Amino acid sequence: MISLGHSFGWFLRLVAVIAFVYLLGPLFVIVAASLSDTGYLVFPPQGLSLRWYQAALADARYLNGFFVSVRLAVTVAAASLVIGTAAAVALTRFHFPGRAFVEAFFLSPLVLPGLVLAVALTLFFASTPLVPPGMTRLVVSHLIVGVPLVLRVMLPVLKRVDRSVEEAARNLGASPLKAFFLVTLPALKPGLFAAAALAFIFSFDEVEMALFVGSAREAPLTVVLYGAAQMAFDPTVAAVSALLILIALILMVAQQLYAQR
Amino acid sequence: MNSSARRSLVAAGLLAPAALLFALLFVWPQFRLLGLSFGNPAPFGLASYERFLGDSYYLGVLANSLALGACVTVVCLVLGFPLAFLLARAETRWAGLLLLLTTFPLWVSAVVRSFAWMVLFYRGGTISRLLQGSGLVPPDFQLLGTFSGVVIALAQVLLPIMILTLYAVIRGIDRDLEHAAMSLGAAPVVALWLVTIRLARGGIMAGSLLVFSLSVSAFATPSMVGGARAHFMAVTIYEQTLELLDWPFAAAISAILLAISLAVALTYGRLLGEGREEAR
Repeated sequence: MISLGHSFGWFLRLVAVIAFVYLLGPLFVIVAASLSDTGYLVFPPQGLSLRWYQAALADARYLNGFFVSVRLAVTVAAASLVIGTAAAVALTRFHFPGRAFVEAFFLSPLVLPGLVLAVALTLFFASTPLVPPGMTRLVVSHLIVGVPLVLRVMLPVLKRVDRSVEEAARNLGASPLKAFFLVTLPALKPGLFAAAALAFIFSFDEVEMALFVGSAREAPLTVVLYGAAQMAFDPTVAAVSALLILIALILMVAQQLYAQR
Repeated sequence: MNSSARRSLVAAGLLAPAALLFALLFVWPQFRLLGLSFGNPAPFGLASYERFLGDSYYLGVLANSLALGACVTVVCLVLGFPLAFLLARAETRWAGLLLLLTTFPLWVSAVVRSFAWMVLFYRGGTISRLLQGSGLVPPDFQLLGTFSGVVIALAQVLLPIMILTLYAVIRGIDRDLEHAAMSLGAAPVVALWLVTIRLARGGIMAGSLLVFSLSVSAFATPSMVGGARAHFMAVTIYEQTLELLDWPFAAAISAILLAISLAVALTYGRLLGEGREEAR
C-alpha cells in the first residue's frame, strides 16, 4: 500500500470499509433473518431453526418457480452463446461496410431500460400469433439482452486470439471450419464459459421482462418472489432469498475455479 | 463462386440468426411502441405526450426519477471511489478476494437485494428502529416507502457497477505519477486530486452516467422499497400497463424514458471515444 499520509489514508480506508459493509451487509442480514425461529422477520434472529426453509421447499410456487427459472436460464445461456458467438466471429473475422454500426446496434439493448423492452415486447406478442405464450416468450425476450452480453464478452476475446496460429493451421492444409474448431475454439473456451455464465445469471435474476411476458403458470422464481414480497413480511421469502444467495455464491466460486484453471 | 463472395456469404450466415432475432423482437417492437405513443388520437396525434407534459403529477414523476438518478450517482461515487482506489492500489494477495466479494452482489437478483432492504427498512426493521431510538424521527417512522429509502437501496444495488468501472480506470493510471507528485512535496490529498482524480475523470464520468441511466429507469428496487405509491418513471409505466391498461399512455412514457437513456448512452459513448483519443 502506498503511503497516503496518516489521517487521509485512514479516512479513505474508513469510507472503503463502510462501502464494503453497505454492499454485503443486507445479504448477511437476510440470511441471518431467514434462520430465525420467529413467525415474523427479525434481525438479529431469535432462536435458530430451519423451519422457514422447510416451508419454502414445501411451497409448490417456489419450487415450480425455481425449475422454470433454471430451464429458462439454461435455454437463454445456450441460445445466446450460439447466436452471440456466431455474430462475434462475423464481426471480428470478416470486414464489411458498416461493421462498427452493426456492432453498436447489437450491443444497444444493454443501455436501454429493461421495462421499456418489456412493454414493447408485450405489445408485439399481443399482436402476433408467431410466438406462443409461456416459456417461448420468456426465452426470446431474454435473448434480446443475452445475445449482447455474450457479444460484449466474446468480441474482445476474439480480437485477442492469436490469428497466426489459425493461419498456420490453414497453411498446414486445414479447412477454415476445421481450423476454427481445432485451433480457435479451444482458445476461446474460458471466454465462452464466462459469456454463458453471464447470460445464465442475467436470465436467472431478471424480473422486469419476466413480469410482463411470463404467464401465471410459468412464472420464474424472481417473479414469484416479487409478488410474495409485496404481500407480507413472510420469513419464507427470506429463506428463498437466502437459498438464491447461496446459489449465486456457488456459481461465482465455480466460475472463479474454472477461470483460474 | 469466387472466394470473396463465399466469404461474405459465410459472414452473412453467421450474422443472420442475431439479425433476424433483433429485427423481429427488438427493432419492430420498438417501432410499434413509438407508433402507439404517437397514435392518440389515431392515426397521428400527440395527445399522450401532451397529457404527460401538461400534468404536474407526471412531470413530478419525471423530476423524481431524475432526482433519484442524481442522488444515487452521488452516493455511488462517494462510497465507490475510495473502495475502488484502495482495491486498485492494494498489493496484498487479499485484493483479488476483496474485489470478488465487492462484485458478488451483482450475482444476486435485485429482487432479493431489495427485499433485504425492505426487511431493514420496515417499521420494526433494524435500521428504522435505530433511527427511532436516536430520537431524530417520530416513533412510528419507517424508511420503507420514502425517497431516502429508495436512494439507499438502489445505490447499494448499483454500487458494484460503479466500483468496477472506476477500478478498471484507476488500474490504468501509473501509480508512479502519484508518487512523483508526493515526492515533489504534494500532500496525499493534493496528489490524489491533481493526479488520480484528474486522470480518472473520463472513467468517473462514464461510471456516473451509467449509474444515472440505470437509476432513472430502475423498476424492481423503486417499486419494492418505494412501496405502493412510488412515483418513479418505470413504476408509473408498470401501473399504466398491467394495472390501468392504458397502453398508448404507457408507450409515451416509455418513449420519454427511452429518449433519456439514449441521450445518456450517446454522451457515454462520446466520452469513451474521447478517453481513447487522450490515451493515444
